[in-house]
Amino acid sequence: MSGCQKAARPLAQCLRSSQALCQSARAIRLFTRSSRLSEEAVTETASFTTTPIYDPEAVTSSKEEKKLMKTGVFPIGSRRRRAAIKTSENILFEQLPYQCFQEARKVLQADREEKLQLIAKERLRISNLIATDPKSINGGRKFKQVRLDSMRRHLEYLKIQADINDPLIKKRFEDGQGDMTKPIYRYLADRKWRDYQRKIIVQRIEQLAVVPDVLPFFEPTAEVRLAFRQKNVQPGEFVDSRISEVSARLKVQVFDKGERLVTVAVVDSDVPIVDKDWFASRCHYLAANIPLSPTETSLPLSKATEGQLIHPWLPAFAQKGSPYHRYTVFVLQQKPGQILDTATLKEKIKRDGFSMRRFVDRNNVTPIGMSIFRSIWDEGTAGVMQRAGIEGADIEFKRKKVVALKPKQKARGWEARHASDKYKSLRR
Amino acid sequence: MAPSHNSIRQMVSPLLQSFRSLSLTSQNVLPSTSRFFTSSSTMSAKSDKKKSVDPRITLIRYHLQHTATPRPLKFSRTRALRHWTIHRAWMLARRKKLEAEELELQRMYQSMHNTMEVLRTMDEKDGLGRGKEAGRLYRVALEKKGIFGQGGVPIEYARLQTDTPGREAWDHSWTR
Repeated sequence: MSGCQKAARPLAQCLRSSQALCQSARAIRLFTRSSRLSEEAVTETASFTTTPIYDPEAVTSSKEEKKLMKTGVFPIGSRRRRAAIKTSENILFEQLPYQCFQEARKVLQADREEKLQLIAKERLRISNLIATDPKSINGGRKFKQVRLDSMRRHLEYLKIQADINDPLIKKRFEDGQGDMTKPIYRYLADRKWRDYQRKIIVQRIEQLAVVPDVLPFFEPTAEVRLAFRQKNVQPGEFVDSRISEVSARLKVQVFDKGERLVTVAVVDSDVPIVDKDWFASRCHYLAANIPLSPTETSLPLSKATEGQLIHPWLPAFAQKGSPYHRYTVFVLQQKPGQILDTATLKEKIKRDGFSMRRFVDRNNVTPIGMSIFRSIWDEGTAGVMQRAGIEGADIEFKRKKVVALKPKQKARGWEARHASDKYKSLRR
Repeated sequence: MAPSHNSIRQMVSPLLQSFRSLSLTSQNVLPSTSRFFTSSSTMSAKSDKKKSVDPRITLIRYHLQHTATPRPLKFSRTRALRHWTIHRAWMLARRKKLEAEELELQRMYQSMHNTMEVLRTMDEKDGLGRGKEAGRLYRVALEKKGIFGQGGVPIEYARLQTDTPGREAWDHSWTR
């Protein structure tokens, strides 16, 4: 601290304190009626004479910021950024005057034009192949179908390649504004999902043995996010029974185009059966013919209509002493045009002893997505069971004691010598 | 019991104090110094083990925080997007160039192959390519006379081929 500052410090402190006093006085006076009235009058006159409307994107001085904050709007970003925005003319991203960037855009645009021509050509080829008689093609109808499939796949590939280098598309996707009806956004979303979320769900399928226990094989192709009310559930999470009392909300994102009907099934695969000393599965929810498309992702299970519903939501409950229960939520895609008859399914399918394998095989549906949560006995389970009218809250499962076949032998050797409590610390 | 005990203590206390101070100092000096080395060394060893940082981490820190290390790239949103655009365009252009080069090589190879095929089946006298003279030009084209220089031999045959290397790998004293 320089000598000058040292000298000035008491003065500065004094000034500061006086300012604070002033402010405090003002704050106190605010509560009185007269001053408030006068302030109101002042604001009214101000609004009549000049109405300074500050842009939250371009406020730079602290005074203006304060005034803006008083109205309840907070300035956006840093002051430096706001100053930069204020001084710059709003140039579109594509027209930014950077030479290398503009040259790059030209290259990308030329490539896009090429790809568009290829797309047109491929479309023409496909239509020509459709028009030709399968008898004139070497290999017949089957070969024609194979060629058509591969050509369509190539067309999809070209469509994605035409747009994948567009920076604006990338930006829009990152902002979550992508239009899922377009193949490029679906492709990007799929890639993002496969990057992390799919790996997690695949790991859970393996760790929690969903694949041999519930289904013989399963490859997830759609993203399923699970939530109860406000609570998002991570795959495999233990969920409190009071939270899972209400039916789940699903968000299912499919990455292939078109509308389809899906069946949703929630299965508990760890129901203990005491008589057989075995575990079975139980259906906690089943609904069919629910429309789903890449843009309609929300799937609240409680909103299923009477015609769609087969079994309404049964709260997840794990009785005391039983190991944790795995509740798998499966989204099964029905074949195009296939509508399941819910009335007969209601009669046929019972909750207890529900087999996912059998359901998939009998009804010819394909599992596309899965989510899983776990449940264990907690303090709320008894209440949940009582409210849902489920009996057995008072039952506690205990392991059957296995009697050893070998008779117990008297301790010998080291064990016998160290049997007293003196060597307690040595014992295992 | 207690009062008598107290009185005795009061009486003895000056003596005791002097003793205590003596004994304390002696205790303080001698055993503690002897204990100092052992206990402190073990203590410090333990704390060192706990506090010691992996030398690799130290090295990484040193190099990352060195003034000669360039700072990490930090781009704004639009600048990052511009960077990405340029990068994609560059990759695209480079791939196109490589593909074009490869195609050109393929074309050249195919053209040579076709030429040789024509030569092989050509017959100057009989147009059908069945006579004795069939493929004469092909054979002439494939003749390797003089490709190692006038009267030269390939380097593989410069030394007599043997099963094992010689006892002396190279005779340095040899002169023509």
